[in-house]
Amino acid sequence: MTSTLEYMNKLGFTEQELASRHAYFQLTGEDLARLAGLRSFAERHNDEIVEAFYQDLLLKHSESRLFFTDQAALHRAMTAQKRYFLELFSGVADLNYMENRLRVGTTHQRIGVAPKWYLGAYAHYLRLISERLFGDMGYSAESQQAIRSIQKIIFFDMAIAIETYIAAGLDSLARHQAAIRELSTPVIQLYERVLLLPLIGTIDTARAMQVMESVLMRVVEKQAKVIILDIAGVPVVDTRVANHLLQTTEAVRLLGASTVLTGISPQVAQTMVQLGVDLAKMYTRASLEEGLELALSLTGRCIRPKEG
Amino acid sequence: MQSGQIPILRIGTTLLASIQVELRDTSAQAFQQDVLKAIEKSRSRGLIIDITGLDMVDTFVARILTDTGRMAKLMGTETVLVGMRPEVAATLVRMGFSMQGVYTALNVDEGLALLAQLQSSQARD
Amino acid sequence: MAARVLSTQEMKITSEDDVVLVRRAVRALAERRGFDSFGSAALTTAATELGRNIWVHARSGLVILEELEDGLRHGVRVEFRDQGPGIPDVAWAMAGGNSTASSLGLGLSGTKRLVDDFQLQSEAGRGTCVRITKWKRF
Repeated sequence: MTSTLEYMNKLGFTEQELASRHAYFQLTGEDLARLAGLRSFAERHNDEIVEAFYQDLLLKHSESRLFFTDQAALHRAMTAQKRYFLELFSGVADLNYMENRLRVGTTHQRIGVAPKWYLGAYAHYLRLISERLFGDMGYSAESQQAIRSIQKIIFFDMAIAIETYIAAGLDSLARHQAAIRELSTPVIQLYERVLLLPLIGTIDTARAMQVMESVLMRVVEKQAKVIILDIAGVPVVDTRVANHLLQTTEAVRLLGASTVLTGISPQVAQTMVQLGVDLAKMYTRASLEEGLELALSLTGRCIRPKEG
Repeated sequence: MQSGQIPILRIGTTLLASIQVELRDTSAQAFQQDVLKAIEKSRSRGLIIDITGLDMVDTFVARILTDTGRMAKLMGTETVLVGMRPEVAATLVRMGFSMQGVYTALNVDEGLALLAQLQSSQARD
Repeated sequence: MAARVLSTQEMKITSEDDVVLVRRAVRALAERRGFDSFGSAALTTAATELGRNIWVHARSGLVILEELEDGLRHGVRVEFRDQGPGIPDVAWAMAGGNSTASSLGLGLSGTKRLVDDFQLQSEAGRGTCVRITKWKRF
C-alpha cells in the first residue's frame, strides 16, 4: 500500500493545489477563524449529533448495520467519527488537514464503505449541526454566516473524499490494464538463455511498444542470449509492423542478445521484401521448430537423437 | 577536465571500464580520453565498457560510446558494450539511434567470451 | 478538456551543470507522477537533449516544468525557451537525416518520438521554444 505522502503527490495535493481549492471553495481565513470560534459550540453538541446519526440512520439500514459487527466496533467507529467532525472546527485547512482527511477517506474506501454512506454522513451532519446552530443562535445574519462557513469546509472535505474513491478506482483500473498487458505478451523460457514470445493478434503501435518493453525486461531478467519471436499468429504484417519488429530486434541487440523471427509465411516474406524492409540484421526462419534449432545452436547446444 | 573519474581496470589483455555515475558531457569526453590513453599504455586487445549503472544514455553519450569503439578499433582494440538497461535500449532505438558498429553483450563474462571469440578469429585471418 | 496544471517549477540554464539539474528535476517529476522506467527514461532523455540544445546553442535559457492532470491521466510538460540563434529551417532540422546538421538535428527528430506531444517554435535570430508533453500510460 502506498504511503499517504505518495498518495498526496499522486493526487496532486500540493501547496499550489491547496491554494487553488481554498479559492475555489471560497474558504477564507475569516471562515477558518469563525469555525475555530464555533468549536466550543460544536463540542457541546457533538456527542449527541453523532449518536443520533448512528441511531437514526446507520443502525436502521441493514446495509450499513453490517459494518458494526459488535458493540466494541460500533463504539470505536463512533469515537472516531466524533473526533472527525470536531476537526471541521480546528480552524486550519492546510496540507496536514488534507492528509488527515485523505487517510480517513482511503480507509473507508478500503474497508468497502460505499461513497454514498461516506458522503451521506456529511450531509446528515450538516443538517443536524445547522438545526442545533439555529436553535442556539437563532436565525440571524451571524448564524447564517456560521452555517456558510461550515458548509464551505464540508464541501472542501467532500471533494477530497470523492477524489479518494476516484483514485482508488483508477488504481484498480491501472492494475487491470497492467495485468492484461502481461497476459497478452507471455514470454516463455524454453531453455536456459532461450526465450520464446508467440505473438498472436494484431500489433498496433501501442502494443508493439509494449511488446518491445516486455521483451527487453525479460531478456535482462533471465539473461537470455536468444529470444524467438513467432509471428505465425499475427494476421497482418505491413511496413509498420515490420518496422516495429525491426526496432525490437535492434533493441535486443543493444542488450547483447539475438532475436530469431519465426512463423514467416510466404505472404509475409513477399510483403517484407516488397516493402524493402531490411532484414539482413535479423535471424529469420519459416517455422518455430527451425527457429528453436537455431536458437539452441546460438547458445552452444543442439538436439540429437537418443543413442541405441 | 575531470579525468580519472571512471576507473579503468585491466584483466589480462582486456580493459574494463564500469560507468556507475550519470555522465555529463565533459565527463563523457574525459572518459574517452582516459580510455584511449589506457589502451595505448597497456597495449590491450580488448575493451569492455560496462554501462549497467547507467539509467539514461542520450545521443551525446551514445555518440561518445560508438566513437570510442571506432577509435579503439583503429588502435587495434575491439570494444564490447555490456549491461545496457532495457529502458535505455528502448529509448535509443525509439530515437533512431541503434549504435551500429559496436559489439554488445549481456554482461562482463559474456563480453570477455565475445572478445576471446573475436580475437581468435582475427588470429586465424 | 484542457489539462489542469498541478504544479510549476522554473529553472534557468546558464551552465552545463544546470542541464544536469534539469535532467534530475525531470526524472524526479516523472517518478512522482508514477511513470514506469521506460516512460521516465524517455522523458529524462528528451529533457536532456533539449536542455543541452539550449546550453550548446544559446548559452542561456529557461525551463518550465509542469505536472499535469487531465481528468483520468497524469502527465508532465516541459518547456524549453531560449533567445539564441533560432532555427532557420525547422523542417530541415526536424528531418534529422543530415549528419552535418549538427547534434541539433538528430536530437529534435529523435526527441519527438519519445514524447506524446512536441511543439516547436523558432525564429532565426530571435530564439526557440520547445514544449514537450508526456502522459503516464495507465
